[in-house]
Amino acid sequence: MWKYITFEIFIQLLVSGILFGTMYGIAAIGLSLIFGTMRIIFFAQGAVIVFFAYICYWLFTLLGIDPYLSLLLIIPMSLLLGIAFYYGLFKAAAALEDRVSSLLIAVGLIFLLENLMTVLWTADPRSIVTAYTSYVLRPIGINMPFTRLMALVIAVLSTAGVILFLKKTLIGTAVRAASEDIVSTALMGINPNWVNAIAFAIGIGLTGIAGVTLATVYSFDPVYGFIFALKAMIALALGGFGNVVGALLGGILLGLIESLGSFFVGAGWNEAIAFLVFLLVLSFKPQGLFGRSVEKG
Amino acid sequence: MEKHLLEVKGVDVLYGDIQVIWGLSIHVDEGTIVALVGANGAGKTTLLKTISGIIHASSGEILFSGKSLAKLRPQEVVERGVSHVPEGRRLFSGLTVLENLKLGAYPPRARGLFDTSLERAYSLFPVLKDRKDQKAGSLSGGEQQMLAIARALMAQPALLMLDEPSLGLSPILVRTIFDLINTLNTQKVTILLVEQNIHQALKIAHQAYVLKTGKIAMNGSGEELLADPEVQKAYIGERWGKR
Repeated sequence: MWKYITFEIFIQLLVSGILFGTMYGIAAIGLSLIFGTMRIIFFAQGAVIVFFAYICYWLFTLLGIDPYLSLLLIIPMSLLLGIAFYYGLFKAAAALEDRVSSLLIAVGLIFLLENLMTVLWTADPRSIVTAYTSYVLRPIGINMPFTRLMALVIAVLSTAGVILFLKKTLIGTAVRAASEDIVSTALMGINPNWVNAIAFAIGIGLTGIAGVTLATVYSFDPVYGFIFALKAMIALALGGFGNVVGALLGGILLGLIESLGSFFVGAGWNEAIAFLVFLLVLSFKPQGLFGRSVEKG
Repeated sequence: MEKHLLEVKGVDVLYGDIQVIWGLSIHVDEGTIVALVGANGAGKTTLLKTISGIIHASSGEILFSGKSLAKLRPQEVVERGVSHVPEGRRLFSGLTVLENLKLGAYPPRARGLFDTSLERAYSLFPVLKDRKDQKAGSLSGGEQQMLAIARALMAQPALLMLDEPSLGLSPILVRTIFDLINTLNTQKVTILLVEQNIHQALKIAHQAYVLKTGKIAMNGSGEELLADPEVQKAYIGERWGKR
């Protein structure tokens, strides 16, 4: 391998790693917010991402709506679905601080969604082919597929949006406070259910966005989401729990590791390398590379 | 009979199967300072948590301005005008001082009064104004206690419940906190105070209750209890004697 590497190829690997990693990044931000207030890893996230990829696919094939334009529909839909998930599925378990039940509900949701999607769209891989799907920009000789570049732009914009929401609005501030101490936020007059629901809304809202970028970049099938959610969890561990920018950076870092790993070690080793990094980070820097520690478990 | 601001009547509280409060009754009159004193594990903190709705009584009644609080959740109790500064302050340490104060004014009733409340908080605690953009976790212990009290006041409470406000503070700061409690009281804030610093608490209290294993062992005015030989022996003498 080493004799084939040139500067151009190396840069190419970095660029595709970064573009790839941004999707892990936005998924990780969603996991981070839900973990923040609920203290659970929402394992069903990958399945929800694929679900929205299918919605995007449907909007495109049935109604001819451009995938990027469909964000205008998918973002409100996913925000509402997040609120519905919380009030419909997780509220009772959250009231009892029963994290095991919450996790089981999330796992149940994976099976429900995967099978629902198989019934609706069959197990065959689907992809969206638009006029710009194979369009590649070549600034300074580096290949940049347009759809991946858009994925990066969308990821950066949504990260900025989430940060603005968390910092500039009162309810956003309440979500940050609740991820430190949810009992204390209740003493401030803040309804813990509402804060949890908002965290879910944003977390699922980001899955809507990730779903659209997934649908424009890859082909996907109903069970594609599970490994994706695991990768998002690794990205989150790399970035540090409770740190929005860290989660995005963690995703990008994971993308880079995978991109370089598949070139130097072999594409078949991708998952193994990702989990090795995960184990190393948890063993030596469990607070994440960019994170603060989580005091209350 | 005069109407009490807060009335706790025959309350039982259980943690699982273990009963920690037994048929307890207290009342707090408007404009007074009421102290709850007693040894560790006597149920003082549990009583405050029960009033603020963090835990619920299995029987008994809690009335605030004549209306029941017993079934309400914490966020609803705050909205009624009862603020609770919990043990250990429980600030949002990763948030700035100002963000902590903003969340203090979260109840709809208090939100419109934010500017007035903030002005009052800054005039009571000028140091918080200087540090408003600092993370709450970076404040000293005394400043953190001030922020915890200021944050509770942002909700414009009629009743302020303080759990061990002097805990872990230097003697000078303890004085400052007790002076502050007096100042707040002159500004028409009714105060329910839980304290281990029994001597100081009884000195400023109009009314006080001594709790022992979840029951009222004694009650009276602060002065009466301070002079009571039994209180002296059981709580104050012993504490002084040990030092």
